[in-house]
Amino acid sequence: MTRKDNFIYGGIALCSAAFLFWIIPAYTPEYPGYGVAAAVLPNVTVGFILALSVLALAMNIFSYLSAKPASPEKNLSEDSGKAAKVHLRHLVSFIVPSVLLMYAMMWIGFIPAAIAFMLVIQYLCGQRKPVTIVLVALSAAFLVYGAMRYGLGAPMP
Amino acid sequence: MLETVIAGFIDSLQPINLLFVLVGVIAGVIAGAIPGINGPMAIALCIPLSYYMSPLAAISFLVGLNKGAFFGGSISGVLLNTPGTPEAAATTWDGYPLCVQGKGEKALRAALYGSVTGDFFSTVVLILVAAPLATVALYMGPPEIFALICLALTIIAGLGEASLTRGLIAAAAGILIGTIGIESVSALPRLTFGLYQLERGISLIPIGIGMLAFSEIILQLERRIKAGSPECTVSFSSKPEDRYISWAEWRGSAKTLLRSSIAGTVVGALPGLGAPVASFFAYDQAKKNSKTPEEFGKGKLEGIFASESANSSVVAASLIPLFTLGIPGNVAAALLIGAFVVHGMIPGPLMFEQNAQFIYGIYGSLIIASGMLLVVGRVGLTTFCKVVKAPPAILYPCIIFTCIMGSYLAEFSTFDVTLMLFFAFVAYFMRKFDFSHICLIIGFILAPIWETALQQVVIASEHAPYMFFTRPVAMALMAITAYVVIKTGIGKWKSQNIEKNLAA
Repeated sequence: MTRKDNFIYGGIALCSAAFLFWIIPAYTPEYPGYGVAAAVLPNVTVGFILALSVLALAMNIFSYLSAKPASPEKNLSEDSGKAAKVHLRHLVSFIVPSVLLMYAMMWIGFIPAAIAFMLVIQYLCGQRKPVTIVLVALSAAFLVYGAMRYGLGAPMP
Repeated sequence: MLETVIAGFIDSLQPINLLFVLVGVIAGVIAGAIPGINGPMAIALCIPLSYYMSPLAAISFLVGLNKGAFFGGSISGVLLNTPGTPEAAATTWDGYPLCVQGKGEKALRAALYGSVTGDFFSTVVLILVAAPLATVALYMGPPEIFALICLALTIIAGLGEASLTRGLIAAAAGILIGTIGIESVSALPRLTFGLYQLERGISLIPIGIGMLAFSEIILQLERRIKAGSPECTVSFSSKPEDRYISWAEWRGSAKTLLRSSIAGTVVGALPGLGAPVASFFAYDQAKKNSKTPEEFGKGKLEGIFASESANSSVVAASLIPLFTLGIPGNVAAALLIGAFVVHGMIPGPLMFEQNAQFIYGIYGSLIIASGMLLVVGRVGLTTFCKVVKAPPAILYPCIIFTCIMGSYLAEFSTFDVTLMLFFAFVAYFMRKFDFSHICLIIGFILAPIWETALQQVVIASEHAPYMFFTRPVAMALMAITAYVVIKTGIGKWKSQNIEKNLAA
């Protein structure tokens, strides 16, 4: 258990409490008087998540209190070493063009938007050969359009 | 009865069905051969395409895809020392040393024959076992189904990740997501946040593609940019003894093949354990039972046979709990539930009464897929080897584009694409912080069955929870669940303490 775990379980417990006391009552239909209330399963699952996260937090605190004292520098370095590094910029760099693609398709049409998207994504994936970038972008856009529009009869955006 | 069986097998021999099985097997081998792409990911990407197929062709295509991917995973394992799929990791231990000795073709042939043997064996077991088990399963009522799902989710949550707590939280989150949409009793929207697009519920496509494919590609790219691409060392000797497996080698490995196929089938039939467990277990057993255990890890054919026959046995064996109880054995089987539902069927024991011909059609397709895997593997072995050289800078953008268009294709809705990206985002963080995204997907898929069982229990017991105490099977299943929770919890707590002491 590390400090990171405390933040994760604490965050989950807070979110669960918000669901339990605010979101589920606000967005679940009232009990119609027969059968099972719509809020039963969401309440059971969120209550279960809340109980587990509080239990994990309690165990973390218990193990911290019962552990032998160690130098704070050592604990800190272990924490940072164990934590999986989140490359938020890397993640966002792929999510944002994908979100924009759908809007671009509605504004400028499928083929230009798909070509632009493929150019950007290939660059982000490390492709630096201009001829390859253009050829792959064009072929992917036209191939997918042909397959979806004429092969599967899907209405394209 | 016999007419139904024959009619089912004839259905599986329809040219269009054969074509889709063939396409599925080829696409599966290609997908599996590419490091980082696995069977479930390929299934998630191809489920939208299955909308356009007949139910039998769709399921056969997806099963063929899964079977192909299991063998395909060994190709990159043998040639690059980088297993294409997690279950092929044990294959690399002996496959790559053989490849370095110039016997790559022989190693791949062993992987192919091992895969086909294990796969065929478990298919036969599935055919023999599923129908009788389904008859027994029909006696199970809602309390037993409810308890069984609790047990399955607990086993899946406990085995996958470092912490049982995190696995259970992920499974519960999946169930919560599964409750979004129109609620069946009141017929009113539940947890839709005022968004009308959520009223029809969240379909499997955006969750499957986002969590299994899109997030995986992002993580793959992250690792690749840091580490660079592995070097391909394809070197095939032209000597016949380095290319083909001799009769003596066949005879020497026959026991291992049979033992590993049995082990893989048993492991595959148990929910949650999965192909990697089967593969490592069979490899370990083969080594322990060998007269020359010291040769394992240095290019021993038996090692490849053991690993491949065991992991491929899981494909058909994981359908045993799916067909008999409606509970998926692994994530690929869970995705198949989605495909069944799309085509208007709910997997479970009732299928043997309501869709018997369809079930026998699937059996036929499974056997055909095994045969096709053998033929496709033999004919296209050298061609598939070239797939591992596919440049990631071209491949990954195409997969990302396919993820987006696949999500759109399911309902022709841009909202599904947004959902897919949202779940990819969630899965990225879940995987970074050791929460099992697989548990979330399986929880999501089992949510409707679980809720229906819960509703039936509550209604039948007139809102009194004592019904469980009057049902011995349900009680026993709940007791096993409690035992699994305690045992797994204590085991993981002990291992964490050992790690902590070692670190100190």
